[in-house]
Amino acid sequence: MTFLRRQLPVLVTFVTGILFAAQYYVPHPLSEQMLTSVSKWLQIIGGFALVLGVTSLFHIHAVKIRRKEPGWGYSFVLYAGMVGTIVIGLWHGGKETTDGVTTAFGWIYSFMMVPLQGTMFAILAFFIASAAYRSFRARSREAAVLLIAAVIVMLGRVPLGEHLIPVSGDITQWILNVLNASVRRAILIGISLGAVALSLKIIFGVERAYLGGGKE
Amino acid sequence: MSLAERMLSIDRRIIFLMIGLCTLIPLLYPVGLAIKVSPEVKSVYDYIESLPAGSVFLLSLDFDPASKPELYPQAVALMRHAFKKNLRVIGMTLWLPGTGMANEVVSRIAREEGKVAGKDYVFLGWSPGGGSVIINMGQDLYKAFPTDYNNQPTRDLAVLNGVQSLRDVNYVVSLAAGTTGIETWYVFGKDKYKFELGGGCTGVIAPGLYPLLRSGQINGLIGGLRGAAEYEVLIGKKGKAVAGMDAQSATHFAIILLVILCNVFYFSIRTSGKTAGQH
Amino acid sequence: MPFEVIFGAWVATGLTLFILTFLYEDNPLFKIAEHLYVGVSVGYAIVKTYDTVVIRLIYEPMVKQGDWSLLVPLVIGSLMLARYVPKAAWMSRIAFAFVVGVGSGLAIPRVISSYILKQIEDTVRPLVSLATDGSTTFTYSLLDPASNLNAIVLLIGVVSVLFYFFFSVEHTGPGKVVARTGILFLMIAFGAAFGYTVMARMSLLIGRLSDLIDYSHPEYGRATWWLLAVTIATLIAFRARRRGTEPPQ
Repeated sequence: MTFLRRQLPVLVTFVTGILFAAQYYVPHPLSEQMLTSVSKWLQIIGGFALVLGVTSLFHIHAVKIRRKEPGWGYSFVLYAGMVGTIVIGLWHGGKETTDGVTTAFGWIYSFMMVPLQGTMFAILAFFIASAAYRSFRARSREAAVLLIAAVIVMLGRVPLGEHLIPVSGDITQWILNVLNASVRRAILIGISLGAVALSLKIIFGVERAYLGGGKE
Repeated sequence: MSLAERMLSIDRRIIFLMIGLCTLIPLLYPVGLAIKVSPEVKSVYDYIESLPAGSVFLLSLDFDPASKPELYPQAVALMRHAFKKNLRVIGMTLWLPGTGMANEVVSRIAREEGKVAGKDYVFLGWSPGGGSVIINMGQDLYKAFPTDYNNQPTRDLAVLNGVQSLRDVNYVVSLAAGTTGIETWYVFGKDKYKFELGGGCTGVIAPGLYPLLRSGQINGLIGGLRGAAEYEVLIGKKGKAVAGMDAQSATHFAIILLVILCNVFYFSIRTSGKTAGQH
Repeated sequence: MPFEVIFGAWVATGLTLFILTFLYEDNPLFKIAEHLYVGVSVGYAIVKTYDTVVIRLIYEPMVKQGDWSLLVPLVIGSLMLARYVPKAAWMSRIAFAFVVGVGSGLAIPRVISSYILKQIEDTVRPLVSLATDGSTTFTYSLLDPASNLNAIVLLIGVVSVLFYFFFSVEHTGPGKVVARTGILFLMIAFGAAFGYTVMARMSLLIGRLSDLIDYSHPEYGRATWWLLAVTIATLIAFRARRRGTEPPQ
């Protein structure tokens, strides 16, 4: 039983990891067939993973409503929105349009979900302005360099900036294509080396935090 | 409290009002300054221009409603261009919350350009898995999407004639709002299946994609609302992106002014603090 | 214009204004809109997942086309859900092990090829170019990212930033010069990132306000104007009620 709980998952990770890392270098039809099948399986398993995230949300707000904790009315609004969307969505077979005509599910998507999500992120514009005013200070030489680069890019990426200071557009292009690209490249190489190292640690069983779930 | 200190601790709602007005007024009273086209946007345009009629163009709308203002105009401009060139258009998305929006934009633009579903274009919809979907499409498109978004079997569609996998697609453009986007399309797609790849993205992730642009891993990059405006200028059909550029200019100048003022007040406090210390 | 579109415009405008009230202060209107956003988003995700995964990827291929090999991912996916049954939770480890193992295996060679080899290849470009007559030439146009001068700048940038993050070696002497160069490049890149982030956030606001302007027109019943008045009146009422219930000072 200990083997099933402890060693088997690590063995599964090892075998699948080595198999699919090696698959990249093996163009044999059987290898390609294996890749096709398993990538299809991952699509299906990915759908199950979504269930995990949703269930915890259900649980948190159900507890709030049951215990009538402060703000439980808002949890009720959340549930009403969720259940209403699910019922209407399933009624229309998950389709936003049928023969070019918008369904009630499509109406909820276009006139509730899109404006709600859009506005939630749009208000960040105000907060970035407020944060820039309060904290974007040239306290050191490095901060001053950051500030100057930011101002040049903000000028160079809008028509008014290019109109008033034509060279700002060219400097912005140089900053983005050379200076920024070099830094991002270095960061990308560094992160990728770390990701490969972590993947190898996972495959060889050194890193097991991803397993979680249940007592051993 | 000195003037500088009072100004630095001003109610942030005044700043909110300033930004709101800087956005609203240019939208209501636009000026229409000229927009210079950048080489990275022109690269995407030139590549689509070079494709002969009947070529297969895959547009992956990998964004959700939060990024609609930046990427929706890009999708509209790209699709108008593709339909004008009589390319066969495949639409899809790797982002679940964006499915409805992706379906709407593909169907609407196709209808406006007089294109027929199944013959000139298809919308495949969404499938979970990100990289796995791309690998699956690269192996066998019909296994990844046996039916399109309207439950029509994909094998029967005229628009997909001769397309077995991503190797048969002439150009893929991913409009991305984050991870599971352009990088995913390259790593799990172009690296093995060798199609040409272009990108459109939000302003937040654009700087991080320049290494891929410089190395030729993507052949062009349309960055943010400004990129969408440049593309609208190139296709000669100005839309929401161009209309938003004046407001963009005004808000940028507002932020620059705020940053300058912040530093003026900060240095004023620092200098008066030093002077007081000396006395 | 169809009634459902006008009604939808009113609902969208109302919800947009409710969220915007947060800029004034946290209030019940914002909280209602916030919770509704979470509820509707999750409901949408559940419906689409059911339609795509359960019906289109599992039921139709298995039952209608007889592809019973899909029982394997069905079992693995179900094992994942065993996480919620305390006695059987250990079985979910096998499912996670499979997913993580395949994911890691797929990622390693692709990441090495795409992000490491290809990026290094483009960094170590020739420092001089060959002219058409066979002689070497040095191009120094800063506006051309592919020029030789920019190739040198790029190389310096990549090496100095990589060195800056290499903490196993002390940054003293020549190392300090390289690290400080790296910091300079980093600050410029972060400044560019901030500039682009400002551009992105302002674009999002421009998009929402464009919609509010559209919905203020007569064909939508001037939704924006009416709902703006209602929202402001509601906020004033909330404020007055809060002042009324506050203890006297």
